[in-house]
Amino acid sequence: MNLGTRKILDNSFTAVGMGSIVVMALALLVVLTPIVYNGVGAVFFTGTIEHRTMLYKEYGRGDSKTIEAQSATADRYRGEAYRMLSGFEAEMEGMTPEASREYRSKYAPVRAAMSSLLGPLPGDPQPMLTRFQYGQTRWEKAEEKLHDILYEKKWDYSDPTVMAKEFYVPRAEAFAGTKLAPLFGYVDKHLADMMQPQFTFYWGFFTDRSLDAHIFGGIWPEIQGTFFLAIGAMLFAFPLGVIAAVYFTEYAKEGFFTSILRSANSTLAGVPSIVFGLFGLAFFINTMKVSESKSVLAGSLTLAIMILPTIIRAAEEAILSVPKTYKEASLGLGSTKWNTIATVILPAALPGIITGGIISLGRAAGETAPIIFTAAVSVGSAIGIADVFSSPTPALSWNIYNLASEHEMASEIRHVQYGMVLSLVSIVLLLNLSAILLRAKISQKLKG
Amino acid sequence: MMKRILLLLSVLLFASVDAVAVGGGIVIDGSTTVGPIAKSFAAYFKNRYAVPVTVSESGSGNGAKGLINGTCDIASMSRAMKGREIAAAATKGVNPVAHTIALDGIAIVVHPSNPVAGLTRAQIASIYEGRITSWKGVGGPNARIVVIQRESNSGTQGSFGELVMGKGVQITRNAETQASNGAVKNRVSSTPGAIGFLGMGFVDRSVKVIGVNGVRPSLSAIRNGSYPVSRPLYMYTNGQPTGVVKQFIDLAGTVEGKRIVGELGFIAQ
Repeated sequence: MNLGTRKILDNSFTAVGMGSIVVMALALLVVLTPIVYNGVGAVFFTGTIEHRTMLYKEYGRGDSKTIEAQSATADRYRGEAYRMLSGFEAEMEGMTPEASREYRSKYAPVRAAMSSLLGPLPGDPQPMLTRFQYGQTRWEKAEEKLHDILYEKKWDYSDPTVMAKEFYVPRAEAFAGTKLAPLFGYVDKHLADMMQPQFTFYWGFFTDRSLDAHIFGGIWPEIQGTFFLAIGAMLFAFPLGVIAAVYFTEYAKEGFFTSILRSANSTLAGVPSIVFGLFGLAFFINTMKVSESKSVLAGSLTLAIMILPTIIRAAEEAILSVPKTYKEASLGLGSTKWNTIATVILPAALPGIITGGIISLGRAAGETAPIIFTAAVSVGSAIGIADVFSSPTPALSWNIYNLASEHEMASEIRHVQYGMVLSLVSIVLLLNLSAILLRAKISQKLKG
Repeated sequence: MMKRILLLLSVLLFASVDAVAVGGGIVIDGSTTVGPIAKSFAAYFKNRYAVPVTVSESGSGNGAKGLINGTCDIASMSRAMKGREIAAAATKGVNPVAHTIALDGIAIVVHPSNPVAGLTRAQIASIYEGRITSWKGVGGPNARIVVIQRESNSGTQGSFGELVMGKGVQITRNAETQASNGAVKNRVSSTPGAIGFLGMGFVDRSVKVIGVNGVRPSLSAIRNGSYPVSRPLYMYTNGQPTGVVKQFIDLAGTVEGKRIVGELGFIAQ
């Protein structure tokens, strides 16, 4: 090959390499940007007075004087709107039955939207569910509700043979000439006065218990559950994995039996995680009865089996990469085999072993399928360390799925879901980052 | 370095040791339809009696299995236990007792853009059998019907099959399966040609509820039985409940319990 062709080939190969790195970086950006952007919105957002009142009443947090002052201002503006509502209700009483009935059906959605924006209206009984005891806690949601108050979404069903198109009708038109007519302009104009929006840094999102199935409050039980499960899995899998790797590399005689064991290990690494989940349910809970119900213990054991092959593999590689001369020198100085492994080989292999371990820890924290049947619940409180043997726990991965699909108010609390996703991604990234740092630190120490 | 990390981990582990009383909680598993009721009861119960309650929503079938295997105290179910489940329970010495906690209509929902306002039970059955495949066949626009069903584990699916399709009638293989009420709602609200069915507590404005045999699922229509697709929601216990489990089940009969059920969009009995 002449020099010119070789150069061209060389350059184009570099270009392709650079290109794929750029594509990967872009893909990562596309995935991470919305996660970070929306997830941050769970902690930093424009909160309304309802949010501050909720925090004060439910968590005893915040300055009562400022909250009361702001509430008073908000109530002054709300009072005017409430008077319009009650004025119109009185007006309807005096109408002919037909007119009253017609207005009533149009009025019901307005009233519902008002109560969803501002919380229970005066005269309404105190709702049992916390979700209905407060108005909108976030400004962007309050604006959505304002739109619901001002406009009615309608569908044009006049032609039954085509799919209808939506259109919006200002509600004010339907109430023209009544005492309710000024309400719409008033609410539109004074929304900020009634809600008192204010930039909010809700750090409690990470440390608070959840309230009324995640509609308010934080995600501490999920974060804690994730740590319990991942660390629990590590406690089982790490020692076992390292011992198995030492056996494979130092003790096992190459032969049929060992090669079967090795391929069994590789196969195990490729088994889908849901299979481990079902195995965990059938074996640990139904057969072994490690706990009465789902529990952190059962979940940790299941996760441990799942990450075991990876840990064994990583530890094996790390041990094999220790220079043979270390071992020979140690044995040559009269050390026993076990002593050599414990004092020479394992310390030298430690960076690799720990990296493998922490990456597995990240995987254990992120997996959903193995814990569905063995440990995860959609609602539960943070559990104490003594409860890990008997209690199930919420966990980030499972609750993200739950909020995405099963939750009855999923579309209202997307910010909580994104907050959970961001937390989980951050936890896994932090774990991996600490693996890299730890590895660097240890190898430096070994060299030095 | 190592020590500091260990210290950090142990602090994390013990941070919440005294957060909650140890053990003695109630474990609930089962229906996603009953999920909102179970979760709200759990929150109320924990506030009032300081007894921890955990709720999983893995489907009625899994709830029944959990009760049979003794892994949950209460199985919430949106259908009655089947004969073979009761038989399986008997072999394990479990005696499932049903407690009705609410009534629920199964709302038949379509995309809000769909002009069809109501169907007969027979029309719905034909759509799910795959004999009617276009909305034109029921007086609507010429658009393909996207049939959405639930997984076999679902109690809502079981009830729908029994109440609408009749025993032994197969749902078309073209039907798409979604794993929860929420997922059905998402799919229907984003697919103009879709039809699906939901528990009443999950209905919101993103989907359009259509009448069945000319009756819309309303509180009164479900209570007096004129809406044809309604069923009770159950919580099953092993034997007559005692202690905190009894207290929890009894909540459904109290004024507070009934108000919670009502606020969630279900019908208190």
